[in-house]
Amino acid sequence: MNTAMAAAIAILGVMPSALGEGLVCAHVIDGMSRNPEMFSKLRSTMIVACALVETTAIYSLLIAILILFVA
Amino acid sequence: MFDNFFSLDIPGEVLSSLIVILIIVILSIIIAIQAHFQNPLKKPKGLLHLAEIGVKFFDNFTEELVGQAIPNFGGFIMGVAVYLFLAFIFGLTGLPSPVTYMAVPLSLGLTTFLLIHLVSAKFTKWKYFKRYVDPFPVFLPINLISMWAPLLSLTLRLFGNAVAGWVLLTIVESALRDLSANIFSFMPVVESGIAAGNWNEIFLSPIPTAILHAYFDLFSGLIQTLVFIFLTTIFIGQEIPEELTINTLTNERRN
Repeated sequence: MNTAMAAAIAILGVMPSALGEGLVCAHVIDGMSRNPEMFSKLRSTMIVACALVETTAIYSLLIAILILFVA
Repeated sequence: MFDNFFSLDIPGEVLSSLIVILIIVILSIIIAIQAHFQNPLKKPKGLLHLAEIGVKFFDNFTEELVGQAIPNFGGFIMGVAVYLFLAFIFGLTGLPSPVTYMAVPLSLGLTTFLLIHLVSAKFTKWKYFKRYVDPFPVFLPINLISMWAPLLSLTLRLFGNAVAGWVLLTIVESALRDLSANIFSFMPVVESGIAAGNWNEIFLSPIPTAILHAYFDLFSGLIQTLVFIFLTTIFIGQEIPEELTINTLTNERRN
């Protein structure tokens, strides 16, 4: 029970990461609508940026997995 | 003869890493032989063509950030990228993917970390130690801690991605196995013979896990490979003094 609660608290860290990813996508769509010629460049940059932002979420997922299965 | 070899306590991930390295070495030898006998005036075909596209891509990729300051830097980046991508998609074969073993991403991260410091020491000589006391000497303990940040983030990013995909796939597969065993429970369990086993378990899992494999191994692997080489190039490019990269770029444009 304790470990499950700890993992649940640790996984809360994905929330700001999701917000950040939403911000990235919103601004990329903004840029695309202002300058449609940049579409392909912006898309590839967006995927890399999303992967970077996702990292924090993956850290908390990793910590949750470690708490559940290792600790 | 091989009994002793297999009783060695080598983790499966390390063995699959060795297999990946073997595949890359064999491919490189084939490409080198093809390139040796290729007539430079004719169009390259097949594997050689792919290799040329790759070399061109990675040379262009590193040109802007590193320039010619480090010779053959594109080759290093290409090696890392090919190894990492093959290691990610090696999970598709059903054998353990090397990236899910902490030592593999850690050694990749250590390579980048060492290169950052070696390149910095090469270009700034004794001023290299100035980075530890950057604005004021008071910042020494903070700098000593923050110098490990690239290593930690690079390592945990790769490891976390691979392990998250692997855990999710395992959970989905075991859940679908139980569901299938419950739905098709009328099927008899074959006790012996060549087809022994629980045949009612295998009906649901193949299609959803294939889609998840395509996402977590192929797509995620490709993106993480791109991010890793991107960050490596940026981190190392930061350490090169600006006049070097700018000079080489302008010189090349003049030519």
